[in-house]
Amino acid sequence: MTGVVRSPAGHLGLGRRESPQRNHIPGESSMWFFVIGDLIIFGAYFVAYVYYRGQQPDLFLESQARLNLDIGAANTVVLLTSSLFVALGTSAARSGRTATGVRLFGIALALGAAFPVLKLFEYVPEIVAGVTPGTNLFFMYYFVMTGLHLCHVMLGLVILCFVLRNLRGPAAPKISFVETAATYWHMVDVLWLVLFALLYVMR
Amino acid sequence: MSDAVATAPPPTEPAQPRRRSRKLDQWIAFGTVPFFFTLFGIVFVPLSWMMPPRSPSSSSSQIVEFMQSHNLLIACAILTLSFGLAPLSNAVYLTQIKRMSVSPVFRYSLMVGAMSGAIVGMLFPMFCFGLGSFRDGYDPAILAMLYDFGYLAYIGSLGCFCVMWMSFGLAIILDKNNVLPKWLGYYTVWQYVTELMAAPVWISTSGPFAWNGLMTFWFAMVIYVPWQIIVYVCIYRSIKNQPDRELENA
Repeated sequence: MTGVVRSPAGHLGLGRRESPQRNHIPGESSMWFFVIGDLIIFGAYFVAYVYYRGQQPDLFLESQARLNLDIGAANTVVLLTSSLFVALGTSAARSGRTATGVRLFGIALALGAAFPVLKLFEYVPEIVAGVTPGTNLFFMYYFVMTGLHLCHVMLGLVILCFVLRNLRGPAAPKISFVETAATYWHMVDVLWLVLFALLYVMR
Repeated sequence: MSDAVATAPPPTEPAQPRRRSRKLDQWIAFGTVPFFFTLFGIVFVPLSWMMPPRSPSSSSSQIVEFMQSHNLLIACAILTLSFGLAPLSNAVYLTQIKRMSVSPVFRYSLMVGAMSGAIVGMLFPMFCFGLGSFRDGYDPAILAMLYDFGYLAYIGSLGCFCVMWMSFGLAIILDKNNVLPKWLGYYTVWQYVTELMAAPVWISTSGPFAWNGLMTFWFAMVIYVPWQIIVYVCIYRSIKNQPDRELENA
Protein backbone atom coordinates (compact mmCIF):
# COMPACT_ATOMS: atom_id res chain seq x y z
CA MET A 1 0.00 0.00 0.00
CA THR A 2 2.49 2.59 1.17
CA GLY A 3 4.80 1.78 -1.70
CA VAL A 4 2.04 2.45 -4.16
CA VAL A 5 0.93 5.62 -2.47
CA ARG A 6 4.40 7.02 -2.01
CA SER A 7 5.56 6.60 -5.56
CA PRO A 8 3.38 9.37 -7.07
CA ALA A 9 4.81 11.76 -4.48
CA GLY A 10 8.23 10.97 -5.80
CA HIS A 11 7.09 11.85 -9.30
CA LEU A 12 5.11 14.94 -8.44
CA GLY A 13 7.67 16.16 -5.96
CA LEU A 14 6.89 19.79 -5.45
CA GLY A 15 4.68 20.92 -2.61
CA ARG A 16 2.72 17.66 -2.31
CA ARG A 17 5.23 15.80 -0.17
CA GLU A 18 2.91 15.75 2.85
CA SER A 19 -0.41 14.93 1.23
CA PRO A 20 0.08 11.23 0.39
CA GLN A 21 0.87 10.51 4.03
CA ARG A 22 -2.13 12.46 5.15
CA ASN A 23 -4.55 10.87 2.70
CA HIS A 24 -3.17 7.44 3.20
CA ILE A 25 -5.35 4.97 5.12
CA PRO A 26 -3.03 2.76 7.17
CA GLY A 27 -3.32 -0.93 6.42
CA GLU A 28 -5.79 -2.70 4.17
CA SER A 29 -9.20 -1.13 3.70
CA SER A 30 -10.93 -4.45 4.34
CA MET A 31 -9.49 -4.40 7.86
CA TRP A 32 -11.10 -1.02 8.38
CA PHE A 33 -14.39 -2.54 7.28
CA PHE A 34 -13.87 -5.20 9.93
CA VAL A 35 -12.84 -2.72 12.64
CA ILE A 36 -15.77 -0.38 12.06
CA GLY A 37 -18.23 -3.26 11.83
CA ASP A 38 -16.82 -4.89 14.95
CA LEU A 39 -17.10 -1.63 16.85
CA ILE A 40 -20.73 -1.30 15.73
CA ILE A 41 -21.50 -4.86 16.84
CA PHE A 42 -19.83 -4.39 20.21
CA GLY A 43 -21.52 -1.00 20.44
CA ALA A 44 -24.89 -2.74 20.10
CA TYR A 45 -23.87 -5.23 22.80
CA PHE A 46 -22.83 -2.37 25.08
CA VAL A 47 -26.12 -0.54 24.58
CA ALA A 48 -28.00 -3.77 25.36
CA TYR A 49 -25.89 -4.24 28.47
CA VAL A 50 -26.61 -0.74 29.72
CA TYR A 51 -30.32 -1.26 29.03
CA TYR A 52 -30.49 -4.49 31.04
CA ARG A 53 -28.35 -2.93 33.74
CA GLY A 54 -30.94 -0.20 34.04
CA GLN A 55 -33.62 -2.86 34.63
CA GLN A 56 -31.85 -4.37 37.65
CA PRO A 57 -29.37 -1.77 38.90
CA ASP A 58 -28.98 -3.29 42.37
CA LEU A 59 -28.22 -6.78 41.13
CA PHE A 60 -25.65 -5.44 38.66
CA LEU A 61 -23.94 -3.23 41.27
CA GLU A 62 -23.81 -6.04 43.83
CA SER A 63 -22.37 -8.48 41.33
CA GLN A 64 -19.94 -5.92 39.98
CA ALA A 65 -18.47 -5.52 43.46
CA ARG A 66 -17.44 -9.18 43.34
CA LEU A 67 -15.15 -8.65 40.33
CA ASN A 68 -11.42 -8.42 40.78
CA LEU A 69 -10.81 -4.76 39.98
CA ASP A 70 -7.04 -5.04 40.52
CA ILE A 71 -6.52 -7.62 37.80
CA GLY A 72 -8.87 -5.67 35.55
CA ALA A 73 -6.82 -2.51 36.05
CA ALA A 74 -3.56 -4.42 35.55
CA ASN A 75 -4.91 -5.81 32.30
CA THR A 76 -5.84 -2.32 31.16
CA VAL A 77 -2.30 -1.11 31.78
CA VAL A 78 -0.83 -4.19 30.07
CA LEU A 79 -2.98 -3.74 26.99
CA LEU A 80 -2.44 0.01 26.72
CA THR A 81 1.33 -0.39 27.05
CA SER A 82 1.27 -3.14 24.48
CA SER A 83 -0.62 -0.85 22.13
CA LEU A 84 1.96 1.87 22.67
CA PHE A 85 4.73 -0.52 21.66
CA VAL A 86 2.75 -1.60 18.60
CA ALA A 87 2.46 2.06 17.59
CA LEU A 88 6.19 2.64 18.15
CA GLY A 89 7.02 -0.57 16.30
CA THR A 90 4.87 0.43 13.34
CA SER A 91 6.52 3.81 13.09
CA ALA A 92 9.95 2.14 13.33
CA ALA A 93 9.03 -0.32 10.57
CA ARG A 94 7.72 2.52 8.41
CA SER A 95 10.96 4.46 8.68
CA GLY A 96 12.97 1.38 7.77
CA ARG A 97 14.37 0.60 11.22
CA THR A 98 13.33 -3.03 10.98
CA ALA A 99 15.52 -4.34 13.82
CA THR A 100 14.04 -1.80 16.23
CA GLY A 101 10.59 -2.67 14.92
CA VAL A 102 11.18 -6.35 15.70
CA ARG A 103 12.25 -5.49 19.24
CA LEU A 104 9.27 -3.21 19.84
CA PHE A 105 6.79 -5.70 18.43
CA GLY A 106 8.41 -8.40 20.56
CA ILE A 107 7.74 -6.34 23.69
CA ALA A 108 4.17 -5.66 22.50
CA LEU A 109 3.62 -9.38 21.97
CA ALA A 110 5.00 -10.25 25.41
CA LEU A 111 2.72 -7.69 27.06
CA GLY A 112 -0.23 -8.86 24.99
CA ALA A 113 0.45 -12.45 26.01
CA ALA A 114 0.26 -11.38 29.66
CA PHE A 115 -3.39 -10.43 29.13
CA PRO A 116 -4.82 -13.97 28.80
CA VAL A 117 -2.60 -15.16 31.64
CA LEU A 118 -3.96 -12.47 33.95
CA LYS A 119 -7.47 -13.26 32.71
CA LEU A 120 -6.90 -16.86 33.75
CA PHE A 121 -5.98 -15.69 37.25
CA GLU A 122 -9.23 -13.75 37.25
CA TYR A 123 -11.57 -16.40 35.83
CA VAL A 124 -10.34 -19.47 37.72
CA PRO A 125 -10.90 -18.21 41.30
CA GLU A 126 -14.33 -16.90 40.25
CA ILE A 127 -15.38 -20.20 38.73
CA VAL A 128 -13.96 -22.15 41.69
CA ALA A 129 -16.00 -19.90 44.00
CA GLY A 130 -19.10 -20.91 42.04
CA VAL A 131 -19.50 -17.71 40.03
CA THR A 132 -20.41 -18.81 36.50
CA PRO A 133 -22.42 -17.42 33.56
CA GLY A 134 -25.48 -19.09 35.06
CA THR A 135 -25.21 -17.13 38.33
CA ASN A 136 -27.11 -14.08 37.11
CA LEU A 137 -27.47 -11.77 34.13
CA PHE A 138 -24.50 -9.61 35.13
CA PHE A 139 -22.13 -12.55 35.18
CA MET A 140 -23.57 -13.87 31.94
CA TYR A 141 -22.73 -10.52 30.36
CA TYR A 142 -19.38 -10.46 32.09
CA PHE A 143 -18.27 -13.90 30.88
CA VAL A 144 -19.71 -13.58 27.39
CA MET A 145 -18.32 -10.10 26.70
CA THR A 146 -14.90 -10.62 28.26
CA GLY A 147 -14.73 -14.08 26.67
CA LEU A 148 -15.53 -12.64 23.27
CA HIS A 149 -12.91 -9.97 23.82
CA LEU A 150 -10.43 -12.61 24.91
CA CYS A 151 -11.00 -14.39 21.56
CA HIS A 152 -10.12 -11.10 19.87
CA VAL A 153 -6.95 -10.84 21.98
CA MET A 154 -5.91 -14.40 21.10
CA LEU A 155 -6.42 -13.71 17.41
CA GLY A 156 -4.46 -10.48 17.85
CA LEU A 157 -1.55 -12.38 19.39
CA VAL A 158 -1.49 -14.73 16.39
CA ILE A 159 -1.49 -11.71 14.08
CA LEU A 160 1.38 -10.10 16.04
CA CYS A 161 3.39 -13.31 15.60
CA PHE A 162 2.86 -13.01 11.85
CA VAL A 163 4.02 -9.39 12.00
CA LEU A 164 7.25 -10.52 13.68
CA ARG A 165 7.72 -13.19 11.03
CA ASN A 166 7.06 -10.58 8.35
CA LEU A 167 9.61 -8.17 9.85
CA ARG A 168 12.28 -10.82 10.44
CA GLY A 169 11.82 -12.52 7.08
CA PRO A 170 14.47 -12.37 4.39
CA ALA A 171 12.23 -10.30 2.10
CA ALA A 172 11.55 -6.62 2.67
CA PRO A 173 8.77 -6.30 5.29
CA LYS A 174 5.26 -5.59 4.03
CA ILE A 175 4.41 -2.34 5.79
CA SER A 176 0.73 -2.50 4.88
CA PHE A 177 0.45 -5.79 6.79
CA VAL A 178 2.17 -4.25 9.82
CA GLU A 179 -0.30 -1.38 9.69
CA THR A 180 -3.26 -3.73 9.29
CA ALA A 181 -2.16 -5.69 12.35
CA ALA A 182 -1.60 -2.51 14.34
CA THR A 183 -5.08 -1.28 13.43
CA TYR A 184 -6.57 -4.52 14.68
CA TRP A 185 -4.57 -4.44 17.90
CA HIS A 186 -5.65 -0.88 18.66
CA MET A 187 -9.26 -1.92 18.13
CA VAL A 188 -8.84 -4.73 20.68
CA ASP A 189 -7.47 -2.10 23.03
CA VAL A 190 -10.36 0.31 22.52
CA LEU A 191 -12.89 -2.48 23.07
CA TRP A 192 -11.22 -3.41 26.34
CA LEU A 193 -11.28 0.20 27.56
CA VAL A 194 -15.05 0.36 27.07
CA LEU A 195 -15.55 -3.13 28.51
CA PHE A 196 -13.47 -2.27 31.55
CA ALA A 197 -15.40 0.93 32.10
CA LEU A 198 -18.81 -0.73 31.71
CA LEU A 199 -18.22 -3.97 33.58
CA TYR A 200 -15.75 -3.05 36.30
CA VAL A 201 -15.90 0.66 36.96
CA MET A 202 -19.38 2.02 36.15
CA ARG A 203 -21.28 2.77 39.35
CA MET B 1 -17.20 -30.37 -32.86
CA SER B 2 -16.02 -29.31 -36.30
CA ASP B 3 -14.99 -25.99 -34.68
CA ALA B 4 -11.92 -27.61 -33.30
CA VAL B 5 -10.75 -28.41 -36.80
CA ALA B 6 -11.58 -24.96 -38.15
CA THR B 7 -8.93 -22.27 -38.48
CA ALA B 8 -8.19 -19.22 -36.37
CA PRO B 9 -10.99 -16.65 -37.06
CA PRO B 10 -14.19 -18.59 -36.13
CA PRO B 11 -13.55 -19.44 -32.41
CA THR B 12 -14.81 -16.07 -31.11
CA GLU B 13 -18.21 -16.54 -32.72
CA PRO B 14 -19.31 -19.99 -31.55
CA ALA B 15 -17.80 -19.28 -28.12
CA GLN B 16 -20.60 -16.79 -27.41
CA PRO B 17 -23.62 -19.14 -27.24
CA ARG B 18 -21.52 -21.91 -25.74
CA ARG B 19 -20.29 -19.79 -22.87
CA ARG B 20 -23.81 -19.17 -21.64
CA SER B 21 -24.77 -22.78 -21.60
CA ARG B 22 -21.52 -23.83 -19.99
CA LYS B 23 -22.39 -22.03 -16.76
CA LEU B 24 -26.01 -23.16 -16.93
CA ASP B 25 -25.50 -25.77 -14.20
CA GLN B 26 -24.24 -23.14 -11.81
CA TRP B 27 -27.00 -20.70 -12.72
CA ILE B 28 -29.73 -23.27 -12.17
CA ALA B 29 -28.35 -24.21 -8.76
CA PHE B 30 -27.90 -20.51 -8.02
CA GLY B 31 -31.54 -19.83 -8.94
CA THR B 32 -32.77 -22.30 -6.34
CA VAL B 33 -31.17 -20.28 -3.53
CA PRO B 34 -33.69 -17.40 -3.39
CA PHE B 35 -36.53 -19.86 -3.92
CA PHE B 36 -35.32 -21.94 -0.99
CA PHE B 37 -34.82 -19.01 1.33
CA THR B 38 -38.16 -17.43 0.45
CA LEU B 39 -39.88 -20.73 1.15
CA PHE B 40 -37.86 -20.97 4.34
CA GLY B 41 -39.04 -17.54 5.45
CA ILE B 42 -42.70 -18.11 4.59
CA VAL B 43 -42.86 -21.46 6.34
CA PHE B 44 -41.01 -20.32 9.45
CA VAL B 45 -42.74 -17.03 10.01
CA PRO B 46 -46.31 -16.56 8.75
CA LEU B 47 -47.26 -20.22 8.30
CA SER B 48 -46.18 -21.75 11.59
CA TRP B 49 -44.83 -18.85 13.70
CA MET B 50 -41.88 -21.04 14.71
CA MET B 51 -39.83 -17.90 14.23
CA PRO B 52 -39.24 -15.57 15.93
CA PRO B 53 -38.64 -18.24 18.57
CA ARG B 54 -41.23 -18.67 21.26
CA SER B 55 -40.18 -18.13 24.83
CA PRO B 56 -38.36 -20.96 26.62
CA SER B 57 -40.43 -20.12 29.67
CA SER B 58 -43.81 -20.54 27.91
CA SER B 59 -46.55 -22.14 29.98
CA SER B 60 -47.49 -25.74 29.38
CA SER B 61 -50.79 -24.81 27.71
CA GLN B 62 -49.02 -22.41 25.32
CA ILE B 63 -46.57 -25.14 24.37
CA VAL B 64 -49.35 -27.67 23.78
CA GLU B 65 -51.29 -25.19 21.66
CA PHE B 66 -48.24 -24.47 19.51
CA MET B 67 -46.99 -28.02 19.21
CA GLN B 68 -50.38 -29.44 18.25
CA SER B 69 -51.24 -26.88 15.59
CA HIS B 70 -52.08 -28.17 12.15
CA ASN B 71 -50.01 -25.51 10.38
CA LEU B 72 -46.93 -26.66 12.22
CA LEU B 73 -47.29 -30.12 10.74
CA ILE B 74 -47.69 -28.68 7.24
CA ALA B 75 -44.69 -26.41 7.78
CA CYS B 76 -42.50 -29.28 8.93
CA ALA B 77 -43.58 -31.44 6.01
CA ILE B 78 -42.76 -28.66 3.52
CA LEU B 79 -39.39 -28.04 5.11
CA THR B 80 -38.33 -31.67 5.28
CA LEU B 81 -39.31 -31.94 1.61
CA SER B 82 -37.50 -28.81 0.43
CA PHE B 83 -34.55 -29.45 2.71
CA GLY B 84 -32.78 -31.01 -0.28
CA LEU B 85 -32.35 -27.56 -1.77
CA ALA B 86 -29.85 -26.61 0.94
CA PRO B 87 -27.13 -28.85 -0.55
CA LEU B 88 -27.72 -27.15 -3.91
CA SER B 89 -27.00 -23.70 -2.52
CA ASN B 90 -23.94 -25.03 -0.75
CA ALA B 91 -22.81 -26.63 -4.01
CA VAL B 92 -22.88 -23.21 -5.69
CA TYR B 93 -20.76 -21.70 -2.93
CA LEU B 94 -18.35 -24.63 -2.93
CA THR B 95 -17.86 -24.46 -6.69
CA GLN B 96 -16.61 -20.91 -6.24
CA ILE B 97 -14.55 -21.72 -3.15
CA LYS B 98 -12.79 -24.40 -5.15
CA ARG B 99 -11.33 -21.65 -7.32
CA MET B 100 -9.62 -20.06 -4.33
CA SER B 101 -5.90 -20.42 -3.79
CA VAL B 102 -6.39 -22.01 -0.36
CA SER B 103 -5.95 -25.46 1.09
CA PRO B 104 -8.78 -27.90 0.25
CA VAL B 105 -9.15 -28.41 4.01
CA PHE B 106 -11.23 -25.22 4.10
CA ARG B 107 -13.57 -26.47 1.43
CA TYR B 108 -14.06 -29.88 2.99
CA SER B 109 -14.55 -28.39 6.46
CA LEU B 110 -17.18 -26.08 5.03
CA MET B 111 -18.87 -28.96 3.24
CA VAL B 112 -19.03 -31.24 6.24
CA GLY B 113 -19.84 -28.36 8.59
CA ALA B 114 -22.76 -27.34 6.39
CA MET B 115 -24.03 -30.91 6.17
CA SER B 116 -23.85 -31.70 9.85
CA GLY B 117 -25.12 -28.22 10.68
CA ALA B 118 -28.17 -28.71 8.50
CA ILE B 119 -28.91 -32.05 10.12
CA VAL B 120 -28.72 -30.71 13.67
CA GLY B 121 -29.95 -27.21 12.98
CA MET B 122 -32.78 -28.03 10.60
CA LEU B 123 -33.72 -31.69 10.45
CA PHE B 124 -33.70 -32.20 14.22
CA PRO B 125 -36.07 -29.28 14.92
CA MET B 126 -38.30 -30.23 12.00
CA PHE B 127 -38.67 -33.75 13.32
CA CYS B 128 -39.30 -32.51 16.86
CA PHE B 129 -41.95 -30.01 15.87
CA GLY B 130 -43.43 -32.29 13.23
CA LEU B 131 -43.61 -35.17 15.66
CA GLY B 132 -45.34 -33.00 18.25
CA SER B 133 -48.08 -32.08 15.81
CA PHE B 134 -48.33 -35.53 14.22
CA ARG B 135 -50.77 -37.10 16.68
CA ASP B 136 -53.31 -35.59 19.06
CA GLY B 137 -53.20 -36.21 22.77
CA TYR B 138 -49.49 -36.43 23.51
CA ASP B 139 -48.62 -35.88 27.15
CA PRO B 140 -47.86 -32.12 27.70
CA ALA B 141 -44.57 -33.06 29.38
CA ILE B 142 -43.45 -34.90 26.25
CA LEU B 143 -44.50 -31.96 24.10
CA ALA B 144 -42.53 -29.59 26.33
CA MET B 145 -39.46 -31.73 25.91
CA LEU B 146 -39.85 -31.86 22.12
CA TYR B 147 -40.33 -28.09 22.16
CA ASP B 148 -37.07 -27.60 24.07
CA PHE B 149 -35.28 -30.11 21.87
CA GLY B 150 -36.51 -28.39 18.72
CA TYR B 151 -35.48 -24.87 19.73
CA LEU B 152 -32.20 -25.90 21.33
CA ALA B 153 -31.23 -27.80 18.21
CA TYR B 154 -32.27 -24.90 16.02
CA ILE B 155 -30.56 -22.04 17.90
CA GLY B 156 -27.97 -23.98 19.87
CA SER B 157 -26.44 -26.06 17.05
CA LEU B 158 -23.16 -24.26 17.44
CA GLY B 159 -20.07 -26.27 16.63
CA CYS B 160 -20.82 -27.27 13.04
CA PHE B 161 -21.74 -23.73 12.09
CA CYS B 162 -18.67 -22.34 13.89
CA VAL B 163 -16.44 -24.52 11.74
CA MET B 164 -18.43 -23.71 8.64
CA TRP B 165 -18.32 -19.90 9.03
CA MET B 166 -14.71 -19.90 10.12
CA SER B 167 -13.52 -21.96 7.18
CA PHE B 168 -15.60 -19.89 4.78
CA GLY B 169 -14.31 -16.62 6.26
CA LEU B 170 -10.69 -17.71 6.40
CA ALA B 171 -10.81 -19.12 2.88
CA ILE B 172 -12.00 -15.73 1.58
CA ILE B 173 -9.41 -13.78 3.59
CA LEU B 174 -6.46 -16.01 2.67
CA ASP B 175 -7.44 -16.44 -0.98
CA LYS B 176 -5.11 -14.75 -3.45
CA ASN B 177 -7.31 -15.19 -6.53
CA ASN B 178 -9.85 -12.61 -5.30
CA VAL B 179 -12.79 -14.91 -5.98
CA LEU B 180 -14.83 -13.14 -3.30
CA PRO B 181 -14.14 -9.71 -1.76
CA LYS B 182 -11.96 -9.65 1.36
CA TRP B 183 -14.44 -7.68 3.45
CA LEU B 184 -16.95 -10.49 2.93
CA GLY B 185 -14.45 -12.75 4.66
CA TYR B 186 -14.43 -10.47 7.67
CA TYR B 187 -18.22 -10.27 7.59
CA THR B 188 -18.31 -14.08 7.65
CA VAL B 189 -16.08 -14.06 10.72
CA TRP B 190 -18.86 -12.14 12.51
CA GLN B 191 -21.19 -14.97 11.67
CA TYR B 192 -18.81 -17.14 13.63
CA VAL B 193 -18.95 -14.69 16.52
CA THR B 194 -22.76 -14.82 16.56
CA GLU B 195 -22.55 -18.60 16.91
CA LEU B 196 -20.28 -18.13 19.93
CA MET B 197 -22.80 -15.65 21.31
CA ALA B 198 -25.54 -18.27 21.00
CA ALA B 199 -23.80 -20.67 23.39
CA PRO B 200 -25.60 -19.25 26.48
CA VAL B 201 -28.96 -20.56 25.21
CA TRP B 202 -27.93 -23.77 26.94
CA ILE B 203 -27.83 -21.90 30.27
CA SER B 204 -30.48 -19.16 30.16
CA THR B 205 -34.19 -19.78 30.08
CA SER B 206 -35.20 -16.12 30.01
CA GLY B 207 -33.77 -12.68 29.33
CA PRO B 208 -31.38 -11.51 26.61
CA PHE B 209 -29.37 -14.75 26.50
CA ALA B 210 -32.30 -17.15 26.18
CA TRP B 211 -32.94 -18.70 22.74
CA ASN B 212 -35.39 -15.91 21.89
CA GLY B 213 -33.19 -13.24 23.48
CA LEU B 214 -31.83 -9.98 22.16
CA MET B 215 -28.19 -11.03 22.37
CA THR B 216 -28.47 -14.57 21.10
CA PHE B 217 -31.23 -14.37 18.50
CA TRP B 218 -32.03 -10.81 17.40
CA PHE B 219 -28.49 -9.50 17.03
CA ALA B 220 -27.55 -12.69 15.20
CA MET B 221 -30.47 -12.19 12.81
CA VAL B 222 -29.49 -8.57 12.17
CA ILE B 223 -26.09 -9.85 11.06
CA TYR B 224 -27.25 -13.02 9.33
CA VAL B 225 -30.06 -11.81 7.06
CA PRO B 226 -28.00 -9.11 5.26
CA TRP B 227 -25.09 -11.56 5.12
CA GLN B 228 -27.18 -14.11 3.25
CA ILE B 229 -28.27 -11.50 0.71
CA ILE B 230 -24.76 -10.05 0.30
CA VAL B 231 -23.21 -13.49 -0.19
CA TYR B 232 -25.82 -14.17 -2.84
CA VAL B 233 -24.87 -11.00 -4.73
CA CYS B 234 -21.13 -11.67 -4.32
CA ILE B 235 -21.50 -15.27 -5.55
CA TYR B 236 -23.48 -13.98 -8.52
CA ARG B 237 -20.62 -11.68 -9.46
CA SER B 238 -18.10 -14.40 -8.84
CA ILE B 239 -19.86 -16.86 -11.19
CA LYS B 240 -20.25 -14.11 -13.77
CA ASN B 241 -16.55 -13.26 -13.62
CA GLN B 242 -15.40 -16.86 -13.67
CA PRO B 243 -13.29 -17.36 -16.79
CA ASP B 244 -14.34 -20.24 -19.04
CA ARG B 245 -11.00 -21.97 -18.71
CA GLU B 246 -11.68 -22.44 -14.99
CA LEU B 247 -14.94 -24.29 -15.59
CA GLU B 248 -14.75 -27.95 -14.70
CA ASN B 249 -17.49 -29.12 -17.03
CA ALA B 250 -15.74 -27.97 -20.20
